[in-house]
Amino acid sequence: MSGEERRMEPRSVAFRREREGQWFELELLVDKALRGGLRSLEPAELHRLPILYRVALSSLSVARRTAMDRALLSYLEALAARAYLAVYGARRSTRGALRRTLFATFPQRVRALLPELVLATGLVALGTIVAVALMASEPGWYDAFVDPALAGGRDPHASTETLRAALYGGGEQGEGLAFFASFLFVHNAGIGLLCFSLGFAAGIPTALLLFTNGLMLGAFIQLYAERGLLFELGGWLLPHGIPEIGAVILCGAAGLHLGRAVLLPGRRTVRSALAWAGRRGSTVVLGSILLFAIAGLVEGIFRQAVTDDLVRYALAAFNLAWFVPWLALAGRSEGAS
Amino acid sequence: MREDIHATVEIVGPEGVPLSFPRATLAERFVAFALDLVILVSSASLVLLLFLLAGLGVGSLAVVGVGLVFMFLIRHFYFIAFETHWHGSTPGKRLMNLRVVARDGAGLGTDAVVARNLMRDLEIFVPLAIVANPEQVFGPGPWWLLAPTVIWLSVMALMPLLSRDRSRLGDLVGGTRVVRIPIAELPPDEAARSSQPRQSRRADTLAFSVAQLSFYGERELETLAELMRKADQGKATDDDLRVVAQTIADKVGFDGPLPARRPARFLRAFYKAQRAHLERELLFGKRKASKFDEG
Repeated sequence: MSGEERRMEPRSVAFRREREGQWFELELLVDKALRGGLRSLEPAELHRLPILYRVALSSLSVARRTAMDRALLSYLEALAARAYLAVYGARRSTRGALRRTLFATFPQRVRALLPELVLATGLVALGTIVAVALMASEPGWYDAFVDPALAGGRDPHASTETLRAALYGGGEQGEGLAFFASFLFVHNAGIGLLCFSLGFAAGIPTALLLFTNGLMLGAFIQLYAERGLLFELGGWLLPHGIPEIGAVILCGAAGLHLGRAVLLPGRRTVRSALAWAGRRGSTVVLGSILLFAIAGLVEGIFRQAVTDDLVRYALAAFNLAWFVPWLALAGRSEGAS
Repeated sequence: MREDIHATVEIVGPEGVPLSFPRATLAERFVAFALDLVILVSSASLVLLLFLLAGLGVGSLAVVGVGLVFMFLIRHFYFIAFETHWHGSTPGKRLMNLRVVARDGAGLGTDAVVARNLMRDLEIFVPLAIVANPEQVFGPGPWWLLAPTVIWLSVMALMPLLSRDRSRLGDLVGGTRVVRIPIAELPPDEAARSSQPRQSRRADTLAFSVAQLSFYGERELETLAELMRKADQGKATDDDLRVVAQTIADKVGFDGPLPARRPARFLRAFYKAQRAHLERELLFGKRKASKFDEG
C-alpha cells in the first residue's frame, strides 16, 4: 500500500489465471462423464477427476470469500455442482455388492424392524383368527373376505371334490395354473409394494391391508377345515406360503416403519426420519420381491409337478429351513451398513 | 401458484463445501415424467403384445404369464434401473437435463432410488387407476372409508404442489431432490485485459485514489462488468459507455478529458481499480454491498 494511488491488478485476476487451466480440464472430464457415465473415462482421466474436483471446490471456497467477480463465482458454482454430479451422481457398486445386499444388508435391515415385524405378524394373525371365527358361525362371510377373481371357484358352494381337485390341479390344467401363478406373483408383489408405500399414511392403510390379507387366509383355512381337508390345504399352501406370507409381512413391517417415522419421528425431523425409514425399508421390500418370485416359482412349477402331500410338506420344511436362518442369522458378523 | 425458476437446492457434499444446484421446476419434471411414461407404456405394451402373440402361436397360456411378469418388472423397475445405472437420470430426465441427488450429499444409493420410485406407483399409477375405474380398485365399500382414502391419495399425489420445496412424496421417502444440471460458462475476465493501448502506457492518467474508489460497492461493480461484457458483444454503443463514464467521473470526482474521449478505456481502468480495491477491503473483512452500504 504505497500512497494514495491504486493501479494494481485485482487479486482475483491472478487467482483465475493460475487455476483456469485446471478448471477447463475438469470441465472436459465432467462433460464426458455426464454424457457417458464414469465408465466412458480413461483410467488416467478417472484418476484426475477427483483431484480436479477438489481443486474446483477449493477454488470455489476461496472465490466465495475473496473474489468480486460474479461471473467467476457463478462459473465456479456451476462447475463444482456439475463435477459433484459426475463424481457422486451414484454410489459405484463394488465387487460383491449383490451378495452383500442379499446376505448381509437385507437380513440386517429385516432384524432392525423387529417391533414392526411383530405388529405386522399380529395383524395378519388377527385377521386369520377373525375370519376363521366368523366363518365357523356363518360360511356366507367367505364372499366378504375373498376376492372372487382369486378364489377361482373355490367357495363354500363348491363340492368337496372340487375343492380337493383345486389343491391337486395339474395335468390338463397345468398351463392355466402357470398363468395363474404368474398372475398371483404380480398380484401379491403388487400388494407387497402397496403395503410399503401406503405406510406413509401413518401406517393405517398398511395395517388394514395386512388385516384383510389375514382375513383371506383365514377364510381359506376355514373353508377347507370344514370339509376335513386342512392337512391337504397345508401341503398346498405352506411351500409357497412361507416365502409369500413372509414377504407380505416384511413389506408390511417396512410400511409400518414409514408410518412410525411420520407419527413418531423422535428427535429427528419428520423429513429425515422419513428418508431414513424409506431407505431402510426399500431394501426390505426389494428382498421381499425376490421372496414373492420364489413363492411364484414354487406355486407355478413345483406345485404342478408334485401332488404328494408328504413331498409338499418336505418342501415346506425345506423353505422354513432356509427362510428363518437367513433372516435371523445372515450378516450378523458383518458390520451394519 | 407461480414457481420460482431460480430456486436453488443446497447440498453439502462429503468435502463439506455447500454446493448450490438450480432446482428442477415442476414443469420440467412433468415433461421428463411424461416422456418416460410414453417410453414405459409403449415398451410394456410391446412386450405384452409379443408375449400374447407368442402365447397364441404356441397355444400356451404360460407364455402370456411370463409376459405378465415382464410387465410387472417394467412398470416397477423402469425408473429404478435407469436411475441406478444412469447416475440418477432416466431417458426423460436426461432430455430435460435433470438429475436426482441425495439430500444428505452422499452418493445416490440404490436404496434411495428404490424408495423414491416405490412411492411413484402410489402417487401416480394408483390415483390414475382410481380416476379410470374406482369400483375396480376399491371394490364395493362404504363411503366413509372411500372418501378419506380418496382425499388422502389426492393429497399424496398433489404433494409437489403443496410441499415447501416442491418435493414429491418419493423424494421425501427417498431423501432425494431433483435438480437441473447447471451450465458452466466462464466469460473473459474484464479486469484481465489491458485498459490501455500497448504503445502508449500513460498510466498516470488512469490512477484512482482510495477516496475515489470508496464510493461504489459490489453491486455497482457488477453492473459495470455487465455493461462492459455487453460492449464486447457489440450490444452497447460508445455513446452508452460515454454516459456511464461521465456519470462515474462526476460522482468520484475524476478530472480530465478521458471519460468523454475514450469511455471504454476509462471504464475498464476504473473497473479494474475498483475491483482491486474492493477485494483488498474484503481481505480485511470489509464488504461493501452497494454505494448505500456505509460498511
